[in-house]
Amino acid sequence: MDYQSLGFKCGLEIHQQLDTNKLFCNCQSFFEENKVDYEIKRKLKASAGELGDVDIAALHETLKNKAFIYQVNRETACLIELDDEPIHELNKEALKVVLQVAMVLNAKIIDELQVMRKVVVDGSNVSGFQRSALVAVNGFLDTSKGRVGIETICIEEESAKKIKEDEKTVTYNLSRLGIPLIEIATDASIKDPEHAKEVAEQLGMILRSTGKVKRGIGTIRQDVNVSIKGHPRVELKGFQDLRSIPKVIEQEIKRQQENIKNKKLHHEVRKVNPDFTSTFLRPMPGSSRMYPETDLVPIKISKNLLSEIKIPELITEKAVNIEKKYNLSPQMSREILKLNIPFDYYAEKYKLNPSIIAEILVEIPKELKARFNINTEKLTKDNFEFIFENLQSKKINREAAKDVLKELAEGKHIDLNNFKQIDNKEIEEKLKEIISKNKGAHFSALMGEAMKIFRGKSDGKTISDLLKKLVKN
Amino acid sequence: MEKINSGDKVRIHADSGEFEGTVLPSLDKNIFVLKLKSGYNIGLEKKKIKKVELILKHKPQEYKKQKLSFNKELKTISILHTGGTIASQVNYETGGVIARFTPEEIVSMFPEIKDISNIKSRLISNMFSEDMNFNHYNILAKEIQKEIKNGADGIIITHGTDTLALTAAALSFTLEGLNIPVILVGAQRSSDRGSTDAKLNLLSAAHFIAKTDYQGVAICMHETKNDDKCLILPPAKTRKFHSSGRDAFKVINDVPIAEVSNEGHVKFLRQHPKKENKKLKLKLFKPNIKVGILKSHPNMFAKEISNYKNFNALILEGTGLGHFPINKIDKFTSENQKIYNEIKKLAKNMPVIMTSQTIYGRINMNVYSTGRLLQEAGVIGNYLDMLTETAFIKIAWLLSNYPKNKVKELFHENLRGEISKRTEE
Repeated sequence: MDYQSLGFKCGLEIHQQLDTNKLFCNCQSFFEENKVDYEIKRKLKASAGELGDVDIAALHETLKNKAFIYQVNRETACLIELDDEPIHELNKEALKVVLQVAMVLNAKIIDELQVMRKVVVDGSNVSGFQRSALVAVNGFLDTSKGRVGIETICIEEESAKKIKEDEKTVTYNLSRLGIPLIEIATDASIKDPEHAKEVAEQLGMILRSTGKVKRGIGTIRQDVNVSIKGHPRVELKGFQDLRSIPKVIEQEIKRQQENIKNKKLHHEVRKVNPDFTSTFLRPMPGSSRMYPETDLVPIKISKNLLSEIKIPELITEKAVNIEKKYNLSPQMSREILKLNIPFDYYAEKYKLNPSIIAEILVEIPKELKARFNINTEKLTKDNFEFIFENLQSKKINREAAKDVLKELAEGKHIDLNNFKQIDNKEIEEKLKEIISKNKGAHFSALMGEAMKIFRGKSDGKTISDLLKKLVKN
Repeated sequence: MEKINSGDKVRIHADSGEFEGTVLPSLDKNIFVLKLKSGYNIGLEKKKIKKVELILKHKPQEYKKQKLSFNKELKTISILHTGGTIASQVNYETGGVIARFTPEEIVSMFPEIKDISNIKSRLISNMFSEDMNFNHYNILAKEIQKEIKNGADGIIITHGTDTLALTAAALSFTLEGLNIPVILVGAQRSSDRGSTDAKLNLLSAAHFIAKTDYQGVAICMHETKNDDKCLILPPAKTRKFHSSGRDAFKVINDVPIAEVSNEGHVKFLRQHPKKENKKLKLKLFKPNIKVGILKSHPNMFAKEISNYKNFNALILEGTGLGHFPINKIDKFTSENQKIYNEIKKLAKNMPVIMTSQTIYGRINMNVYSTGRLLQEAGVIGNYLDMLTETAFIKIAWLLSNYPKNKVKELFHENLRGEISKRTEE
């Protein structure tokens, strides 16, 4: 498809949670939905002039009959989340991460930040507004298809998570409210659907390179703005997987082409579905109503502060380094970094082949998860060190390592005697027995029988060699 | 170059790029504050700005007024404003907060109020409540009298929360024979935010006035952190207990007068006197009356007491049942003897009153020898359960309106519900 002649315009907006305490208070920022200590009930007030084009009388009626229930977990929400205490200072640690990213993206940092209140009336912010500050502008990202402009980089508060809704009340959980977010908005110069995916991946990689971003479902959100000539801009939200971006955009282009034919042109926000289509979410909101956060003085970005900011080594660069140093595959190197594994530490501490270390840290947990549905995230550094030590002292072998790791992940007590290595003579004796019991059996059947007995006590190659020798004889 | 003013639309050429937006006032003369089209405000260092282009001169927007009709079926409430927060609104063009005080503006911000009552509204003084003094209590009392003469069925006073309870106590004393409800209302969370407590507090006060025949001063504020109920609190028995939470106001050694639900239902929580024909008489404060409040603390010095020798009265906020460090026990406590002597000297010339730092509970200066010695020195207030703040207001008011020889006696009499005879909790 010739995207240029379609008048294809596309830009991204990325929201990523930062892994620090909350933005304006000292609450920890983890999401704990199941533990609710108490609930409060609130109403929001609409004021004339607050929403410009929106019919104030109508909004007033809506809010009049709407109550918001907020679930509070004492560990993750304080009076600031309840909007019953003025905010504290803006979290410096979070600001530093945003400044780091701004520098990597070659953006110009604003001299004095002004925290703004962006009016939000759906109850997802207890206060009735989301706090946000513009930190940097006019940056760029070099990609395989040319330069993409980074228009704005903001620091802002995450909203509360909606738990349920009925006609009169909406229930939110406050754990997520106030977690720092970085918002990166590109310009509309993305060339084609594949390019959008590349830009999203690169920005994600840059964010992860800071080592200070949250990981897991819902911690990063990509919104895609897309339009073709003759169609107003449409915002696509809720991508579960970056790999789906090109397909979703292609579907959207088709939809817009149909719309142009049928003269159904809507400026709207759409939600992405798992089958790459999208459904209408809401009309495109007008520009946000913002006014300054009056409980905070403007924040000067001093030379001192800027001099404290270190540009992080990007994960792509790190991956190349690990790849070369330990002779690993590029894929494995990227995987190690994606999982945030301190590979250098293990590789230097244990006299083991780096590829074995990588297999135990990356491949085996993946396999255990896929095959046995075992939660390998429970495996600790100590668990892995236990394996490496015993591998190094040859108390277990590579085969056994998998079984030991499985038992560790299952929280079982490990008896190393079960994994004791046996010597070749003993093996030969047993193999002879197997051969005589299974006269005429195929080699692979014999091997299967043998492995039932020797699994974890010797490695497959030794057994197969011995078996071959015996069968020949 | 033409002079650039706040509100003007400009294009700025700076080191960090080109910015188009509206000029805003800046607190720092080295910083140029601009509101961008996106709504964000940014600060740009003036020395990094190369050029400022004027795009459009500022034209102030006209505020659209809503016409109010008068409903004969409804009572008329006069809202008197003393502070800005309850009636403030954001100007989205400049980001500033503007205080709105006309009846039309109040109705546009709180539309439900016009279904509860007819509204009159005006500004008395736009000030922080901590800046108030006895003069302001007198002005308020006179304005209330004026409103009653002009036919108000009830009055709502909007007030900063810091000293709201003290103003309530002061008005309860000043407005003798008050025959309508006068309800003080504040907001802990400013009304420029969607989550403000101002709306429920104001509407609940209006409901209470519209639906009851209460006569007297009271406070109307949130009961809990929920926006579902307000309490009508007694003026001389209420205290602010939190610097920011909406559930800050608590009744001390007493029970609330009533509760008002979100839907406007009023439920009295104690018996209230039947409506009677009373005649309002203003008993104002003498602004030059000097009353001090001194909190007892370890390592006290006699000088702290003698500082008050030229005052008209002193409140001693003692520990526990009403104690001050006055006993010489060992070589380290000789200062205590001096403290006692100074208290004794003051009490000869002025009322010296004991209240308790514990806030809850009653003074009893008979239990320990310290209390007995203080009574011997002439300290008054025994058996009272009066708040320090109320004691302060009451003694100043008594000294303003009664001969000196009647003051001590009247202080121990319950005049406005400031003293409970029994304590249930």
